[in-house]
Amino acid sequence: MKYAILIVLIALLGYNSVYFEKLSDRNSKTSESFDFATYADSLYTQGLLKAETPIAIDQLLVEVKADQNRAFETYGNRLGIGNSAYFMVSVEGTVAEKTDGLLKVRDKSGTVWPVDTEFIFGNAIRDASRLVKLTDFKTNAEFNALSEALNSIIREEAIPEDLEELRQGDEVTVNGAIKLSKNEDLTIRVVPVQIDKP
Amino acid sequence: MNKELLKKSQSLLALFALCLVITLLSDKFMTTTNLWNVLRQISVNVCISVGMTLVVLMAGIDLSVGSVLAFSSAVCAGLLKSGLEFQSFDLFVGFTVLGGVLVALLVGLLMGLFNGFVITKFSIPPFVATLAMLTIARGATMLYTKGIPISNLGSSFEFIGSGWLLGIPLPVWISLIVVLVMVFVTKKTTFGRYIYAIGGNEKAAFLSGINVNRVKLWVYGLAGTMAAIGGVLVTSRLNSAQPNAGVSYELDSIAAVVIGGTSLSGGVGTVTGTVIGAAIIGVLNNGLVLLDVSPFWQQVVKGGVILLAVIIDRKSKGSK
Repeated sequence: MKYAILIVLIALLGYNSVYFEKLSDRNSKTSESFDFATYADSLYTQGLLKAETPIAIDQLLVEVKADQNRAFETYGNRLGIGNSAYFMVSVEGTVAEKTDGLLKVRDKSGTVWPVDTEFIFGNAIRDASRLVKLTDFKTNAEFNALSEALNSIIREEAIPEDLEELRQGDEVTVNGAIKLSKNEDLTIRVVPVQIDKP
Repeated sequence: MNKELLKKSQSLLALFALCLVITLLSDKFMTTTNLWNVLRQISVNVCISVGMTLVVLMAGIDLSVGSVLAFSSAVCAGLLKSGLEFQSFDLFVGFTVLGGVLVALLVGLLMGLFNGFVITKFSIPPFVATLAMLTIARGATMLYTKGIPISNLGSSFEFIGSGWLLGIPLPVWISLIVVLVMVFVTKKTTFGRYIYAIGGNEKAAFLSGINVNRVKLWVYGLAGTMAAIGGVLVTSRLNSAQPNAGVSYELDSIAAVVIGGTSLSGGVGTVTGTVIGAAIIGVLNNGLVLLDVSPFWQQVVKGGVILLAVIIDRKSKGSK
């Protein structure tokens, strides 16, 4: 009796835990739904790559020091009520070091800016771009899915291609996103959108 | 008698004192929104710490709970999001929320049982065996997720971590059920009494006929399952399984157990004490954030509180 009850319970849980579909039917259904990858791709090629050159990183920091609120308002994108915001910036200089996952760019003043070339995650690029708003999407999950798709294009296709030919000492221009906070000094790491060798 | 009562309720008094101090220093602490938020955050640690309590009661330790949490939640998220595809049979097996959660619990149970198996079969100290599992499970999580979060798991799953039931957040209900079940297990079942007996004197427990290895095996299994419940709560709250989820959660749970009065040498302690310990850690975390204390100082303060709890525990034992 005890085992019979156990078997019925397991069968009931199993029945309510999984469902079966034909893989081919499912794949055709999926292709009909909204395609974040295609949307992210057009956002990257038509939006980010064609956008005006963003403010130079050193110039931005000077402006933040002079009038923090104004600089955050003019160049940044702040989601919610937090003290931090994302900014699209450009870094011009020479390649000081190129290692796995990190590119160090030395600008004219000698400052070295770290650029993440492997760990491209989070919402920095989406939010710094100011091209999309949360209200354009039905749910937070969709808004985040776009970020994921955008990051994956940049991480897996664009940046590896840009990096291929790059050597130490090469001149380079990096456009990318950074995060700054109003009340603490965050370590600046550029999340790249594009790495150009002029 | 009064001294005994005072000793028993010292964690509770510490919690009240902490709440009072933070209320005086921050007007945001005693707001409904913040208190619900604190309870929601505590829920995860409560689930993990309750499992840890059973292990510590047996004079063991489980350092792998954070990684087990991460792996079980990653598997749950992966199955919910992508199911299983069998190309050669043209078959897709999808998982409902119930299915995903059950698999997560099963994964947690199996990993915990594996810990128990290694500890009992090969007589490896729990510290070493679970440390190895900590690394194995974290590596397995990274392999499974490829180091990338698994997101967008659906609103039904998100409801587990973010939903409300009868005006109370669902995670609070879940942790309450976990606590009630484990209070029952430790206080009213033979299995519970075996745990205390093994923690008090393992040799004596063995000589009196208790199957020590079997009890240990299931206690580690339960600790893994509790970690998996915590994993489901974290993942559903974020609607995303993070590969680095649960890092250092084992420390928070050990802290909750110790602060709650469970002796690291086993045999003494209660599940309710651990709940108070978890509440102290949660309130402390929340209070330090509200008071704008630097995260670095937060760690120092938390460490100090744990140290203080152990010193008080030792002193009270010494005075006996």
